[in-house]
Amino acid sequence: MNTGQIISAAGHAGLILWAVLGGAFDTDPQPYEVTQVTAISAEDYAALIAADRAPDAVANVDTPDPPEAGAAPSLSSEADTPPEQSQPPATETAEPDPVPEPPEATPPEAEVSDAPPVQPSPPEETAVLVPEISERPQPRPAPRVAPEPVARPEPDVQIDDVDRVETAPDDSPEVVEQDSQETAREEAATRIVTEAEKAAAAAPAWSLRPRTRPAPRPEPESTVTAQQPAQETTPQVDDAAVDDAVAAALAAAGAGTGDTGTPAGPPLTAGEKDALRVAVQQCWNVGSLSSEALATTVVVTVSMSEDGRPEADSIRMTSYSGGSADAADRAFAAARRAIIRCGTNGYDLPFEKYEQWRNIEMTFNPERMRIK
Amino acid sequence: MTRYFLVLLMALLMPAAPILAQDGGPLRIEITEGVIEPLPYAVPDFVADSVSGREYARQITAVVASDLNGTGLFRQIPSDAHIARVTSFSSPIQFSDWKAINAQALITGAVSVDDVGKLVVQFRLYDIFAGQEIGQGLQFVGTQEGWRRMAHKVADQVYSRLTGETPYFDSRVVFISETGPKDARQKRLAIMDYDGANVTYLTDSQSLVLAPRFSPNGDRVLYTSYESGHPRIYVLDVASAGRRVLETREGSMSFSPRFAPDGRTVVYSLTQGGNTDLFAMDIASGRSQRLTTSPAIETAPSFSPDGRHIVFESDRSGTPQLYIMPATGGEATRISFGQGRYGTPVWSPRGDLIAFTKQSKGRFHIGVMRTDGSEERLLTASFLDEGPTWSPNGRVIMFTRETQGAQGISGLYSVDITGRNLRPVQTPTGASDPSWSPLQD
Repeated sequence: MNTGQIISAAGHAGLILWAVLGGAFDTDPQPYEVTQVTAISAEDYAALIAADRAPDAVANVDTPDPPEAGAAPSLSSEADTPPEQSQPPATETAEPDPVPEPPEATPPEAEVSDAPPVQPSPPEETAVLVPEISERPQPRPAPRVAPEPVARPEPDVQIDDVDRVETAPDDSPEVVEQDSQETAREEAATRIVTEAEKAAAAAPAWSLRPRTRPAPRPEPESTVTAQQPAQETTPQVDDAAVDDAVAAALAAAGAGTGDTGTPAGPPLTAGEKDALRVAVQQCWNVGSLSSEALATTVVVTVSMSEDGRPEADSIRMTSYSGGSADAADRAFAAARRAIIRCGTNGYDLPFEKYEQWRNIEMTFNPERMRIK
Repeated sequence: MTRYFLVLLMALLMPAAPILAQDGGPLRIEITEGVIEPLPYAVPDFVADSVSGREYARQITAVVASDLNGTGLFRQIPSDAHIARVTSFSSPIQFSDWKAINAQALITGAVSVDDVGKLVVQFRLYDIFAGQEIGQGLQFVGTQEGWRRMAHKVADQVYSRLTGETPYFDSRVVFISETGPKDARQKRLAIMDYDGANVTYLTDSQSLVLAPRFSPNGDRVLYTSYESGHPRIYVLDVASAGRRVLETREGSMSFSPRFAPDGRTVVYSLTQGGNTDLFAMDIASGRSQRLTTSPAIETAPSFSPDGRHIVFESDRSGTPQLYIMPATGGEATRISFGQGRYGTPVWSPRGDLIAFTKQSKGRFHIGVMRTDGSEERLLTASFLDEGPTWSPNGRVIMFTRETQGAQGISGLYSVDITGRNLRPVQTPTGASDPSWSPLQD
């Protein structure tokens, strides 16, 4: 027997011993209830049972002594008077309870009369023409048509480009506030409302012709001519060209300050551009233009001063499309008036980006204003 | 090596350049939304060089302003708001003073009476915000009696220069003057300036007259009269008031005439044997040509400006609708398809639109549509609107509006083709059936 077998035998033996002695084969006892009991004797049990039976005759009871024989009692022949059987006095007959007279069959107050009940008269029905389709909110007609509808201002309020709350002199000396008159924008609707539409209760009977796609904006000729050579030239490195390009790129990259010492800054944000566009369109009045002028798109350039005011003499029409030269002249005049009028106090443009808006090209496209 | 370094440096810097320079060009924005409102203008009283000219100056200024204000396209700034005073026609303009009151256009003028008693009217027009004159100053010379026409001509020039439209103030309207209650109404042919001034009666009220129509050059008027007991067509010379009947077939009724653009042909309706068809007549020769042969009622013909087509009203489909056919007759094409009844079509002088009367859901409308029937727009709505006629420039429509009831009266109204500026035309009596003349020479 080698060592391994010895160890194995010892292990098995130990395991068997542990199983046997350690109670590995014992099963756990089932759980049981414990009840308190007491043992009683047979006599106690019999007594308990006897208490529940009828009592037995007791034979040992002493008999009482008879009375002593003395004079016999005389017998009387009188018959025993029967005991009077007195009738109990008749009890007074209780008067019968009066029969309750049946209640008079008085007919109850008729809650229901023959007369037909008076129905509450329903509200009088009136013939109402049901609209074929639900009403659309009708725009209120106004003498002015603008992108944003404006409610009619109070009659004593001055018309201005902006809404302004009236201020009055204040007694408090701390606040220094310039007096201003209350102003409001002129009443405006978003489109022309004809008499026929004012009376109509349903949707308009016609709709606008689908808009044609806007014509591509004509690019300035200078741009085209500048780009064409670049497409045609072969990529050969030329010393002079490289030097010029490097100089231009360095100038553009170093645009923290412009040539004139004024800041160029980053490009205008979309919001800043929108603000400028909205400011100009508030003064772009096409109400007096001819039909042909309303079909003419004009491209106008304008130079701006640093305070945001347009330089009137610099306003030029660079191109037009969609109409005759006369129509373009009228359209340009309306555009020029818009630029100058709304720029009287300077457009709200960021000074730090002056080089970006120093020259502006505005395209006035009246396509959406033709029938409104 | 240095060269390649520079190229590399340039390549690194170039992508930033377009962003910083906004495509290397000016800032670009597109304006697509504007406002539609009357253009504010100032017209100080024209300067007069004499006492006699002063009253003319005041009246001419008032007529010019009335013409412009009546379009709905302009708003006059009252004179008490003016800062600057124009005391001389040749003195320079202080644009800042006019800009301060938001005047966008300024009209200055002068009136004088020359040695031979002629009235001389001069005017200039300025763009205040541009700080320059619009066009050149103009001068009109005429009789003193014709001062209103001269005022209209000044207003025409201003209107045309500011809007780009051809003008229409120096024009006239022929119409039916109406007096008396509806059941005993008396009708006369009358002519007036477009604004209701200078009314002249061309016929008496002995017989019923209907539907006058100007010739293309405004020298003659066609109308229908019941003078003979049944309707017949007459041609009246405006200058002499002389007239003659257009002979049509015996035993027929002719009505609803209208000139062709050449002024030599008249198209009209003729009822014979219970059927009404369209005919064309050469005025000089009196020869007629049948244009339609339908058993339906065909009436209210109107030529296109080029004279190649005729739009008319027919009930061949069951209800009155609008049709277009060649001017020589032939197959007609229906162009109205909306709900209701269409009638009295009139082709615009521009040729782009057709005005019509529409009856729908118990109301009458004046509307316009494209010549193919598309883009129908109703401009008015009332108890009874009918009989549209175009201004010479095709921008304004005049029509008849009648009020309800036995005492209802007829009057003339005008409306811009956009549907704005609906306003009555002042006439001394009731009026109906207007026909607008071309612009006068």
